Amino acid sequence: MSDFIPQLVQQLFNGLSLGAIYALIAIGYTMVYGIIGMINFAHGEIYMIGAYVGLVTLSAIGVGSGLPIALIIFIMLVIAVLVTAVYGYAVEKVAYAPLRGGPRLVPLISAIGMSIFLQNWVAIGQGARDMAVPALITGAWQFHIGEYAVTAPYSRIMIILVTLVLMIMLHFYIKHSRLGRASRACSQDLRMANLLGIDTNKIISFTFVVGAMLAAVGGVLIALAIGKLNPFIGFLAGIKAFTAAVLGGIGSIPGAMLGGVLLGLAETFAAAYISSQYKDIVAFGLLVLILLFRPTGLLGKPEVEKV
Amino acid sequence: MKSFIRITPIALALGAMAFAGSVYAQTIKIGIPQPMTGPATQYGDQIQAGALTAIEAINAAGGVNGKKLEPLLIDDGCEPKQAVPAANRVVNSGAKFAVAHACSGTTVPAVNVYENEGIVAITPGATSPLVTDTIKPHFFFRTIGRDDQQGPFAADYIAKELKPKKVAILHDKQTYGSGLATQVRDSLGKLGVEVGLYEGINVGDSDYSAVITKLKSMNPDLIYFGGYHAELGLLLRQAREQGLTTQFMGPEGVANADLVAIAGPAATGLLVTLPADFTKLPGNEKILEHFKTYKRNPDGAFTMPAYAAVQILVDSIKAVGEDPAKVADHMHKAAFNTAIGKVEYDAKGDLKEFEFAVYKVDDKGNMIQLNK
Repeated sequence: MSDFIPQLVQQLFNGLSLGAIYALIAIGYTMVYGIIGMINFAHGEIYMIGAYVGLVTLSAIGVGSGLPIALIIFIMLVIAVLVTAVYGYAVEKVAYAPLRGGPRLVPLISAIGMSIFLQNWVAIGQGARDMAVPALITGAWQFHIGEYAVTAPYSRIMIILVTLVLMIMLHFYIKHSRLGRASRACSQDLRMANLLGIDTNKIISFTFVVGAMLAAVGGVLIALAIGKLNPFIGFLAGIKAFTAAVLGGIGSIPGAMLGGVLLGLAETFAAAYISSQYKDIVAFGLLVLILLFRPTGLLGKPEVEKV
Repeated sequence: MKSFIRITPIALALGAMAFAGSVYAQTIKIGIPQPMTGPATQYGDQIQAGALTAIEAINAAGGVNGKKLEPLLIDDGCEPKQAVPAANRVVNSGAKFAVAHACSGTTVPAVNVYENEGIVAITPGATSPLVTDTIKPHFFFRTIGRDDQQGPFAADYIAKELKPKKVAILHDKQTYGSGLATQVRDSLGKLGVEVGLYEGINVGDSDYSAVITKLKSMNPDLIYFGGYHAELGLLLRQAREQGLTTQFMGPEGVANADLVAIAGPAATGLLVTLPADFTKLPGNEKILEHFKTYKRNPDGAFTMPAYAAVQILVDSIKAVGEDPAKVADHMHKAAFNTAIGKVEYDAKGDLKEFEFAVYKVDDKGNMIQLNK
């Protein structure tokens, strides 16, 4: 097969762009976990809400309004990020803050409940039907390897770039800002940080808000690239992103990126060279294998049980 | 005394319910479980439009044997796990008749409930052979064709009209989609057309680019998809993004306005097999007037079959009374003139004949029937 190499390149790009989608959602999971040690299972739904807010904004502006497309996308992102941040804040205050300090299972169940509530909330408000998102970013970058044209749609390239940029920004925020330092203190020992005068409640709220904002960016960009929305997309996306976060080492931000890309590549290559029927089996088999040998994920640090 | 106080409200409530029951016994209830939420809502809308228009038209003309029909809308979400609860709600409501379910996935488990409880139910939407083949029901009927009528029809059209050298078949691994895909694959095999690829994809996935790259290298002349519009919409859109311009074809499950909304211009040229357009059937002019009177849309693959289902139930009740066992016996024997033409049933409730046609999506997203 003379097409083998160019096809491999195409599948590599497919896997990378799918992986970037997973990674973009996974950062939110991993950040909340890194700071308060809790899985926010409603994160997938926050992502879905971000996508919906973006779509509603887009319908309000109108595709044919004459505004430049870059500006439309910018307005969508800003409004989605703001509205979704409010959701993130409210979810934390309603579903998690009152349960803080209780057994770990309690907020977990509350998070699952929140996720079901949000799904149905949007299903009632926006209807449960699939909604189409107009393709704003069209076109693709093509290059030839021999006869074969490898295609990289701009919408996918944008997701890869945005994921990288957000990850770098987040890294600097955690490592070098005052709030970031306070967050790291909270992640090491919540009670001690509190004793040292850090307003831990504020830090935790802030973490949820930032997580929600990241999810909103992901929601808008992925909705534009994929072109379809329904109130239940958050569940599957959340499960896959959560897997990516665990694979990379939950709590580690570069780990989320690595985990997402690995999962995306595993699924893509399984679909390409085995059968798309088996792609989830291969991807999750890989997850089990990696966790057997590295229980904390690829980049996770072994956790010392906190007293 | 205390226990008396406690019991009284319950007794009163029970009394009230008995009273309510006696009032409503003046109507004939027809349960209509179908998807009112979820991605298949559109099919539920079509069934509601057909069944409710028929019911209202019949009530306006005086009802059946002096009684009015009373529709009970129930949501099954097109989810298999909600199917049996939805069917049980029909049972608990006291309805003896139902126009039941749009999706094969919900109908297959629900058939048992109707059969065991002796409720005469007609599906205007479920096309899987499993609906009637597994338990060979006496009380369950269809006003729509089976996949093994639609599958061979599609295969026949592919082999005789499109004459492709190589065909790829994808399906969504669900009862309806994979069943139909298997039918098409087997029939194409018999007709001597090569099926180069036969693969399942996941429902709810957002990215099918890996499969599309694979299809691109295989370069088939036709891609048949067994499943629903949500997945096909994404497949079409992502195929065009990667520059794959192969002709796609699908069953009636993909044919609706949402497909065009999701796929955009990529939907143009798509071929679909649908039940023939019954709104153009001679003799249906009066029915179309009813749709106009009640301000409902007569278009859609399941609308006229749902209308026909109510007609068949009403004709049978008029002939033999309200006993569901007698109605079922009558339906197996009699022939009916309905919105979908002449209807006759075989021993397990399948239509003896059902007409399909091939449609093409034009650049405005409308489906145009192709003449053979």
